[in-house]
Amino acid sequence: MTRQMQLLGAPWRQAPSHDIVAWDADRGAPALDQAGFHQSIGAWQYRLDELAPTGQSWLLYHRDPVAFAAALIALWERGDSAVLPADDRPETLDALSSLVTGRLGDVAQGHQAGAPQAPRWGHLCADRVAVTLFTSGSTGAPKQLDKTFAQLDAELSVHRTLWPLDGRLVISQVSHQHIYGLLFAILRPLCEGAPMASRTCRYPETLSAWLQHLCPSREASSQTPRSAVLISAPPPLERLPIELDWQRASERLARIHSSGAPLSAAASAHARAVLGVGVSEIYGSSETGGIAWRDQQVSDHWTPLPGIEVRDDAEGRLWLRSPFLPDPGAWECQADRIAPVSGGFRLLGRRDRIAKVGGKRLSLSAMDHALQTCHGVLQARALPLAARDNRLGAIIQLRAECVPYDHAARRDLIQALRNRLLSAFEPTVIPRYWRFVEAWPTNTQGKLSTEIVAQLFADLKDRRLPRWLGSEADDAQACRIILEVPERLVYCQGHFPEQPVVPGVVMLQWAIDLARRHLGVDGTFQRLERVKFPQLLLPGDRVSLSLTWHPDSEGGRLAFDLSGRRGCHAYGRMRFAMTEVSHAS
Amino acid sequence: MTNALELELKQLIIDTLELEDVTPEDIDPDEPLFVEGLGLDSIDALELGLALQKTYGIKLEADSEETRRHFANLRSLAALVEARRVK
Repeated sequence: MTRQMQLLGAPWRQAPSHDIVAWDADRGAPALDQAGFHQSIGAWQYRLDELAPTGQSWLLYHRDPVAFAAALIALWERGDSAVLPADDRPETLDALSSLVTGRLGDVAQGHQAGAPQAPRWGHLCADRVAVTLFTSGSTGAPKQLDKTFAQLDAELSVHRTLWPLDGRLVISQVSHQHIYGLLFAILRPLCEGAPMASRTCRYPETLSAWLQHLCPSREASSQTPRSAVLISAPPPLERLPIELDWQRASERLARIHSSGAPLSAAASAHARAVLGVGVSEIYGSSETGGIAWRDQQVSDHWTPLPGIEVRDDAEGRLWLRSPFLPDPGAWECQADRIAPVSGGFRLLGRRDRIAKVGGKRLSLSAMDHALQTCHGVLQARALPLAARDNRLGAIIQLRAECVPYDHAARRDLIQALRNRLLSAFEPTVIPRYWRFVEAWPTNTQGKLSTEIVAQLFADLKDRRLPRWLGSEADDAQACRIILEVPERLVYCQGHFPEQPVVPGVVMLQWAIDLARRHLGVDGTFQRLERVKFPQLLLPGDRVSLSLTWHPDSEGGRLAFDLSGRRGCHAYGRMRFAMTEVSHAS
Repeated sequence: MTNALELELKQLIIDTLELEDVTPEDIDPDEPLFVEGLGLDSIDALELGLALQKTYGIKLEADSEETRRHFANLRSLAALVEARRVK
């Protein structure tokens, strides 16, 4: 009997009870079979039945992909729909309160599953809203998007035809709170009866270890998957370290997907060289779903997905007719510009971005282009700032050798960029606030989001903060953060009048604050151990803060090192004590 | 004319205009404040005029030749403040 794989046919209902739903890739053993999955679905329904009658909308946020999947199916089978917030920040969740009956998952006030029991099956119909998502782009406020079962099903069926899973392990490096992760990492394995890894794969070390545990030449009796499909995005693919053991990756990875933002040609080639498998990129958006795909090692042109029609207009704008849109018969205009080629198109980037600065209309795209022609500039984005009316900010990615490390070098660089722009732009529209980065800052989907922009310019509003210019996580317990000391830092005022310096206690406070934010350090600060401040830290200095967290039975120890071009400014360790964890009721 | 007043005015310029990459030492008292030199523009001139009024009680014609002369560089600005301040 051929397997029923349509979402609307609810394939999880008839799946054999010993089929593996979730695979514990750390141990190389099954984590949950279909029978257990049914019990989890029942457990969520039990809790929901206690809370409200059927036909509601629920906010769902769960980092655990398996718990997320069980809660989602429980909602659908009960006759409810899911509202998926893009992240779990309190502001994001609060903004959705009016849309939902309550919260499910690992968030504040989130309800959890009840006792395991047999599930109830309901009716999924094509035009019912299955999930509500929110756009995550860099422009404007999030937009609400309702997706019906028919829309999701149309998209899943296209993916299945192009890239069948065939029982392979699905390893995800992306969030399933967004359309791409939801479709590729959750719904595809559920509908196609393929196992999903029981947790999201955050680090390349984990990926390398997981691949070692697969079994390409397995015996028929073994449950271990032969190979895997990797659901990835530009940030993890760009940062694949070559020194890990990837030897057998090519025979154990059948396919790599990437979405969220276009992968650079260099990153595509890097991933191919390291993992031995090409990256199938999907171009699309939360609004449109998938539009086209490509493997840059074959061609940099995009091929429309089956069933999707694409054309351009006189201004080069992309027009789209797609079964994944609410109205499958209508042509919709998109913000991107394209150049048609045989069998597909090339992406030319966003339509012109226009801003009004000091009463003057200005093409931000033109300014980006002008900046990109400057010496040492790899990528540039000029943008209006929420904190400063009438003034622009600019984010500039520089070649490593051009990055300024102190006040004088930064001023010279800004002067050079200003002079360059003055030949083409009026003085009032020239950016006043500059952020120089070595790596283009993005969120986990590869986008320069509003949150990232806010983080880059946060020191404008709060003069106690260091200027954040990027971070890199080695693993969950270690990270490196690039910082600059703002000239107007409040702690430097009058300390000392002749030569302002950053007080040591401020450096320690930054290390604590950033460790709490980036490494989730939560204990109470207790004491310093072997702390030294070898070099003065001056306004304008650019430094790198390395943090390593060593949790232990009493709390943990944080090792830190703040260093720049002139040497080390602070290093040492801090001891934290465990805090009582208070659970939300 | 005192160095203290010059330093005070430098800080006033930096704070009023929220210049993030300029320290008082970066402002040469004889260098032009506008376009070249510090690179200030017409919006800055308006804001600076308001700040002078608030801090020293000095009223200036918005777009007069005289104002432009006073705003030429930090030294001329300091001379203006010293001669006309009422606060």
